[in-house]
Amino acid sequence: MTWLTWRQYRMATVISAALFAAFAALVVFTGLHMAAQFHDAFGSCIAANTCRFPVDDVSLGSGPLGFIIEFTLAVPAVLGMFIGAPLVAREIETGTGQFSWTQAVTRRRWLAVKAGWLLLAALAWGGAVGALVTWWSGPKNAAYLNAFNPGTFDVQGIMPAVYSLFAMALGIAAGTVIRRVLPALGVTLFGYFGIRLMIMGWIRQHYMTPVTTKFSVAQGAPFIPKGAAWQLAQGFLGPNGPLAPPSGNSGAIVGNGFPLSDVPAACRVHLASQPARVLSCLDKHGYAQYVTYQPATRYWPFQFIEAGIFIALTAALVALAFAIINRRDA
Amino acid sequence: MNGQEGRLSAVPVTDGPDDGPAIETTALTKRYRRAAALSDCSVTVPQGRISALVGPNGAGKSTLLRLLTGLARPSGGSALVLGAAPRQDPAFLADIGYLAQDVPLYGRLSAADHIRACAALNKRWDAASARTRLRELGVPLDRAVGTLSGGQRAQVGLSLALAKQPRLLLLDEPVAALDPLARRHFLSTITTAMAEAEGQLTVVLSSHLIGDLERICDHLILLAESRVQLCGDIEDLLAEHTVLVGPRKDTAAIEQAHTVVHATQTPRQSTLVVKRGGPVIDPAYQAEDISLEELVLAYMGAAAPAAYAHLTAVGEDQ
Repeated sequence: MTWLTWRQYRMATVISAALFAAFAALVVFTGLHMAAQFHDAFGSCIAANTCRFPVDDVSLGSGPLGFIIEFTLAVPAVLGMFIGAPLVAREIETGTGQFSWTQAVTRRRWLAVKAGWLLLAALAWGGAVGALVTWWSGPKNAAYLNAFNPGTFDVQGIMPAVYSLFAMALGIAAGTVIRRVLPALGVTLFGYFGIRLMIMGWIRQHYMTPVTTKFSVAQGAPFIPKGAAWQLAQGFLGPNGPLAPPSGNSGAIVGNGFPLSDVPAACRVHLASQPARVLSCLDKHGYAQYVTYQPATRYWPFQFIEAGIFIALTAALVALAFAIINRRDA
Repeated sequence: MNGQEGRLSAVPVTDGPDDGPAIETTALTKRYRRAAALSDCSVTVPQGRISALVGPNGAGKSTLLRLLTGLARPSGGSALVLGAAPRQDPAFLADIGYLAQDVPLYGRLSAADHIRACAALNKRWDAASARTRLRELGVPLDRAVGTLSGGQRAQVGLSLALAKQPRLLLLDEPVAALDPLARRHFLSTITTAMAEAEGQLTVVLSSHLIGDLERICDHLILLAESRVQLCGDIEDLLAEHTVLVGPRKDTAAIEQAHTVVHATQTPRQSTLVVKRGGPVIDPAYQAEDISLEELVLAYMGAAAPAAYAHLTAVGEDQ
């Protein structure tokens, strides 16, 4: 079984190994260059402990390669579509299932061995890509403190390995249920990006209750959470909760941004004469600025929580494939 | 690999339920969304026989074979294959050799690759016999199966099925695409395997080529319109049926004594295929022995009169 799996996928292995090698060469080459750039720009301030991150006046890892790095988010989808989806679907389409599934091995055992190896391969491939991207992103993470942000969070740490597992399982399950390669491929593509987008956009921020920090309306420089925190929202709070942002600059207090329409009557009297007193008046009346965020220390807990979710989804999809492969005619 | 080959012969041949028929189906039915592929199919194939599975396209031959392998699950009725219901169980699957229609094999893998893969998929596996057989037939072992000729591919498929040393070999139109010589080789491979198995191997072979079947088969299952029309020992079936040729006249008398399976009328004479209910006494009719082909055509014609109506025109002198 294992030999057959290897025999059938050795070409795919060679091709993907070659692609990976090319990618690795590119990443290592530019990664070293970027590390040197980082050292030139911040070496002295780090030594003197005077750096103020995040910075926005240094450009690190931008250009086509930065785009390729973001695009590694598609690696799991490619694995799921071109390796996972055809696993069962192609056997049925070409009829070879009639050959393999009448040997003295049950369909479930056949699936267990094949899916087992493919999931392992997905884990290895996704893990390797993820490790490279994480290493490459080191200087960027340090300079921009954005490792926790959607988009970067998803291509670093353990996420690529876990997403690869999930996409592979999704492909295998889709192929088993749909039994045709092309539709299964499409379902894998849309399923992977759809589910991931949903979790990234709406669900991830709720893994733990976010922290909200309030500070004076008068404070000029906004509060910045420590380290690579994930900032979810910021603005002004009134006695009844967050205020809607002002419509354009004309609707806001100059230099501050507080929405004019929300200034209570008690403070409104100062508007024309002494703008500074308006702000302290707002503080007195229970108004404040706020920042809601997930602290940087939650980066790894979030990686593990999300990994748990996708591993559970993987398990469910594999279980579905196992249930279906015996129940349907082959 | 030698270790695996050595283990095979040690597999004990068990007694008990093995003495029963190789195949016994009772009201076996398979419905797909639109129509029934097989209805109410009850057939018995004793062990050690070569059964010819015949019938028009779409009669349910492939469906029956797929139900027997367990690849498809019945919508109704039951099947006993080697004494047990077809199921996902290595012991059951080990006893079945199946060659599906169009010989689905992995096109990019060579015959040697298939032999090696099957060694891992089957505890009982005679790799040496498969290699020897294919070498004798001049089938290249190291070329991708997809690049072989139809005849060579069929031989690879058959050799793989036989190397399992199955007790039941199910072959779905394996010779349909083969030239006469390749067909002859293929069929002789089957008969050789039968002889070597000494009664431990039962074969069901579906085909349209009745001439071929007549040479090697001793049992017949005839399906038409998704139903069993005929099932039994070929010799018995031929002995039970007679072709009566006589003047065109009222056949009521004949119908009383015998079962008329199919009648072909020309303006001057009638040709009746009958299942005899006793001796033929009407002197107006000439009784002739029936060939397997005539028998099969008569029952196919009886099952679907419209489809075979044009056959009555053949040889008509109008």
